[in-house]
Amino acid sequence: MPLLFRDQVLRIKAENAEQISILQSLETQEHLQLDFWLHPANPELPVDIRVPFSNVQAVKVLLESNNIQYSVLIDDVQAVLDEEQQELEVNQGRERLTKSFNFAAYHKLETIYEWMDTLVAQYPNLVSKINIGSTYEGRPMYVLKFSTGGNNRPAIWIDTGIHSREWVTQATGVWTANKIATEYGSDSSITTLLNSMDVFLLILANPDGYAFTHSNNRMWRKTRSKTSGSCIGVDPNRNWDAGFSGPGASNYACSDSYHGPFAESEVEVKNIVNFIKQHGQIKSFISVHSYSQLLMVPYGYTCNKPADYQELENVGKSAASALKSLYGTSYQVGNICDIIYPASGGSIDWSYNYGIKYSFAFELRDTGRYGFILPANQIIPTAQETWLALMHIMQYVQAHPY
Amino acid sequence: MRGTLWIVLGLFPLVDGHPTLKTNQNSLETADAALNHQSGSLNSVLHLDDTEKAALEPTRVDPAFPMKELNTSHYPATRAARVAQHYLNYHHGSPSKWFMVHDIKKASSEDIPEVGTKYHVQFSVQEQATKEIVGNCTAEILFRQTEEQSAPEVNCTCDDLLKIETSDADHALYHHIKHQPEPMTGMDIPDSQGNIPKEMEPFWYLGGIGASFIMWQQSNESTLYNMVHVHSVKQLNSENDLLAFDYVVLLHDMVSQEIIHWHMQVAWNPTQGVKVTQCHLLPKGTMKQPSAEKHKI
Repeated sequence: MPLLFRDQVLRIKAENAEQISILQSLETQEHLQLDFWLHPANPELPVDIRVPFSNVQAVKVLLESNNIQYSVLIDDVQAVLDEEQQELEVNQGRERLTKSFNFAAYHKLETIYEWMDTLVAQYPNLVSKINIGSTYEGRPMYVLKFSTGGNNRPAIWIDTGIHSREWVTQATGVWTANKIATEYGSDSSITTLLNSMDVFLLILANPDGYAFTHSNNRMWRKTRSKTSGSCIGVDPNRNWDAGFSGPGASNYACSDSYHGPFAESEVEVKNIVNFIKQHGQIKSFISVHSYSQLLMVPYGYTCNKPADYQELENVGKSAASALKSLYGTSYQVGNICDIIYPASGGSIDWSYNYGIKYSFAFELRDTGRYGFILPANQIIPTAQETWLALMHIMQYVQAHPY
Repeated sequence: MRGTLWIVLGLFPLVDGHPTLKTNQNSLETADAALNHQSGSLNSVLHLDDTEKAALEPTRVDPAFPMKELNTSHYPATRAARVAQHYLNYHHGSPSKWFMVHDIKKASSEDIPEVGTKYHVQFSVQEQATKEIVGNCTAEILFRQTEEQSAPEVNCTCDDLLKIETSDADHALYHHIKHQPEPMTGMDIPDSQGNIPKEMEPFWYLGGIGASFIMWQQSNESTLYNMVHVHSVKQLNSENDLLAFDYVVLLHDMVSQEIIHWHMQVAWNPTQGVKVTQCHLLPKGTMKQPSAEKHKI
């Protein structure tokens, strides 16, 4: 039997000095085994006593016969303790999970989803999880929202993992979510940012693809949608409504850069588009890919420069400088079409044309030694240096409202 | 009978007075023989007429073929430099020596009518094992305008390439492999977490050097190749003093984003370097793809 099973805590309101002295004499009655949580001192203050179950009736009779007012504060101390203990264990479990989560390893989809829940549970006043819709195979697409309040504040959008084989990006997304949640309040730049802006982070932008890279093919890039014929999947970064089916995208279903039957045919893309449009206050749109160490701005579907090119290039160059300051990692900066290749139907071309001026695409480490299969011991350094670039961009966006 | 002039580019020191790459006669012959064994579209054997020979001579300023300065961050320079990297690796790499382009310093191109486009690139490379940077490499890369894929023609020299001294490591490895009781095998290098066991690293490098040959041969102005995975490696019996290995490697072309599987046989010893003795493209879907859960070494 648990020690304090059905013990009660009584709160006593003594009216005068005489009642106080009665209560004080009770303290000397050792056989009653009374545990005074608040000792009798003067009539202004309540007296709280934990009374063992076996003596509850006797103590109550004693109080009543002396006209001493009391109420039952806790009618089963053990029950309260049990609940508390449970909560404590759950919190410790969550803390263990978030503290023991290995950021320097690549994790399966289910593990990342579980971890997201623990993060939300641990920082409920800062982090929430939004289901922006299902994938082709029926998996939820979860966006983490970081917000300190307000009503639909201007916001930053970051997505990682739209190409499922680019594993360092999802891992960077996880690390970044943790960074924001754990350092809000202590890191001044995060705190300042979240004072007036929200951050939306889609860690797994292509969950079906990610699951497939674990179960079947580490090099899978596309979605897993079945269109016609025997080949599966559409390149989700050729499927946006920006120069759709133009240069740099294939109309062959078996190609790794297949643009799909029509723009936004992929539900994963459509879900993001719907969310962005519905929100209406996204001020920056950042898509994270790997590999090549590039920080790019629109456009990919044409080599003509966007109207804001100079500003975007400047922001990009400073962000790349900040990134480089940590470990010396060099990034090239420029428009997609000139830096890497013409590529139509890309996400940041769409977001820029939609009106989100500060649209950027990252290609993270490395430059080809390991490529997609970047050693897990580079996840944290990559995330740390990328954070500096992201922070630079976010601070710039906050300082340049439009 | 039409006279044929066989030139294999880049195996002759560039005639400019700088101390450059040493090649020995043995290496030339083996390379020649190896190249003759290539299958399919691997074509680096040239039949040149006078215009073509002129195009390949060291650069002279000719107003008829204007030079265009290239932005070193933009893809034309990146792709050309990558070809030079593949070339350099194939001719100078080993299981202890693997170069990657570090920084492109200067680049230009010239269109040669009816021939193709010739790029001139100055760049530095970093050797991956020692982390040493070889600062000054110059390359000329000619992409011919042909209907079918033809290997770009490369002249490439680096000052101080020989300062990267891996002869001891190579010889030690050679003897180590020679004295193993069983022929070595390996799979999935790196594994899904990007790990490579220490003892597998030389075979990863060797795969990379062999793959460099294929990537050089397969490159054109619309490709950017990297080797992203060694699916399998298996030591073969060899009668002579060359070690021989059977590889299946995964190449990634950044431009098309395709992953391509190649099967190759590679011969190596420390004095003769690396030679690809056979290779062929595996059709998509032939190989079971690498996955996270399978094939742990």
